[in-house]
Amino acid sequence: MWSRIAYAFRETWASFRRNLTLTAAAVVTSAISLLLVGATFLIQRGFDNLLVRWKGDVQMIVFVASDAAPEQIAYIEDTIKSQPAVIDLEKLKYLDKAASFEEAKVIFTGDPTLLSLLTPETIPTQFKVVPLTGDAALVRSLAEQYRGLPKVEGVSLAEDEFQIISTLSGFVRTVTIVMSVVLLGVAVALIWNTIRTAMFARRREIEVMKLVGATNWFIRVPFMLEGLLQGLIGGVASCGGLWALNRAWTSGVAGFKPGTGISALVVPGSYVNGVMVMLLIIGALAGAIGSGIAASRFLDV
Amino acid sequence: MIRLDNVTKVYGTDSVAVRDVSFDIAKGDFVFLVGPSGSGKSTLLRLMNRQERPERGDVWIAGRNINELGDSRVPYLRRGMGNVFQDYKLLSNKTVFENVAFALEVIGKPRHVIRQQVPAVLELVGLEDKHDRLPDQLSGGEQQRVSIARAFVNRPLILLADEPTGNLDPATGEGIMQLLDSINRSGTTVVMASHDHRIVNMMRKRVIQLDRGVLVRDQERGVYE
Repeated sequence: MWSRIAYAFRETWASFRRNLTLTAAAVVTSAISLLLVGATFLIQRGFDNLLVRWKGDVQMIVFVASDAAPEQIAYIEDTIKSQPAVIDLEKLKYLDKAASFEEAKVIFTGDPTLLSLLTPETIPTQFKVVPLTGDAALVRSLAEQYRGLPKVEGVSLAEDEFQIISTLSGFVRTVTIVMSVVLLGVAVALIWNTIRTAMFARRREIEVMKLVGATNWFIRVPFMLEGLLQGLIGGVASCGGLWALNRAWTSGVAGFKPGTGISALVVPGSYVNGVMVMLLIIGALAGAIGSGIAASRFLDV
Repeated sequence: MIRLDNVTKVYGTDSVAVRDVSFDIAKGDFVFLVGPSGSGKSTLLRLMNRQERPERGDVWIAGRNINELGDSRVPYLRRGMGNVFQDYKLLSNKTVFENVAFALEVIGKPRHVIRQQVPAVLELVGLEDKHDRLPDQLSGGEQQRVSIARAFVNRPLILLADEPTGNLDPATGEGIMQLLDSINRSGTTVVMASHDHRIVNMMRKRVIQLDRGVLVRDQERGVYE
C-alpha cells in the first residue's frame, strides 16, 4: 500500500516539473476564475446587506421610538391596517427591538462607531409596509400621514436609488456569474489539456503498464492527483487575492463619510472565510474531475 | 492453457485479419506462429492478451473465456502473461534494474520482493552486471534480454513474443531463442510469432502457419517451409 502511495506522489511531482509552463497556465487560469467566483459572492453579499431592510417588496418603513408603550404601538399598527385596500396586510411585518438590532448589525458592519452607539434597548422598532398600489404619490401621502402619529420617529420610503441598486445588483450578479463560469470552464479545459500532454509524454510507459497488468486506477491516480493539485494551488492563490481585495475594500469604505449607506457593502470576515473554503473545494474538485476525464479518455493507448 | 474456438477478427468494416481460426495449446508447450507479414500472427497474440476482442468465436486462457471478462479484470489476466516485442518497449529514462522492477512496482509488489526477484531474473538473462545501465547503452540483444526479464520477472504461466528476434543478427537471435527455450523448460507456455525461417527450423517446435488470416498448417516439430 505504502509503495503505491509513494509511487503516485513521485509520479505526480515528476510530471509537474516536466510540464512547468502548461501547469503554470492552468494554475493561473484557475486562480483567476476562482477569484472571480469569490468576488461574485462578496459583491452579492454586499448588495444583500445594502438591500436587507427592503427585502420582500418593502416600500415603506415606519420607525417607532424605542420608548413607545405597547398601546401606542398597537395604535400605529391599527392605523396602518385601516387601509386594507392600499396596504398588503399579509406582508405587514413588525420588527421588535431584538430583530431590529440584528438587522442593524448587518447594515452597519462597516461602520463600527455607529454600531457601538446602538443597543437593543435604544433602537427604534419598525413596521415594514408593502403597499398594494404602484401609485408613488399615494404611498408618499400615506407616509406623511404616518409621520404625524405619536411616537413615530420617522418614515423611510424605498426611494428610486434603492431601485437602481437593486437593478444594478441583478446586473452585476449576472455578469460576474457568467464570467466566472466561462473562466472556470477555461481552467478545466487547460487542466484537461495539461493532463493530456502529460499522458502523451508518457504513452509508452502507460502502454507497458497496461501490458504488465497495472489497473486503470493505478495509472489514472497520479494524473488525477496532478490535476487536483493544480486546481488546489489555483484555489490557494485565489484565496490570497480575495483576502487582499476584501481588505483593501474594507479600509477604503472606512474612509467614506458615515451615513452614506456605503458601509453596508462591507462583508464580515467569517463570510469571507467561508467563501475561501468554498473556493479551495471548487478548485480541487474541478482539477480532479477535469484530469480524471482526460485520464480516462486517453488511457486507451 | 490457450484455446481458440473459430475466432474471427475484422478491422474496420471489411479488413479480415483472422478468419475462423481454432487451435489448442497445452500447458508448457512452445508454439511458433508463422506466416508472412499481415497474415494475422500479431493479431492472434493481441487476442490472447485481450488487447483485441474477436468479432466471432471465443478465446480461452487457463479455462476462462476472456471475451466475457469485464474490463476491470483484464489487468489480472495480464499479470499471468509476459509480453516480448520486436522493438523491446523499454523505458529509455529508466535503468535496466528499474525497467524490470517497473513491472512489479505497477502491480503493487512490495519493495523487498522487488529487491529479491529483479536481481534473480537479471542473472537468468545474463545481465546481472549491467543492472545500472540505461537501455541505449546496451546492444540490441541485451535490450531484448531486459525485455524478456521484465516479461518473466513475475513468473507468468504464458509468455507471448512478437518477432523477438526480428531486429537482431542471427547469432544474437540464437542466444535469445536459447533463453526463451530455457524459460519454456521451466514450465512457462511460450507462443512466439516469427517469420524467421532459420530460427523456426532450428528449434523444431510446433508450428501454426497462417496465410491471409486463415490457419493453413498446424504441425508438431515443424519447420517453416
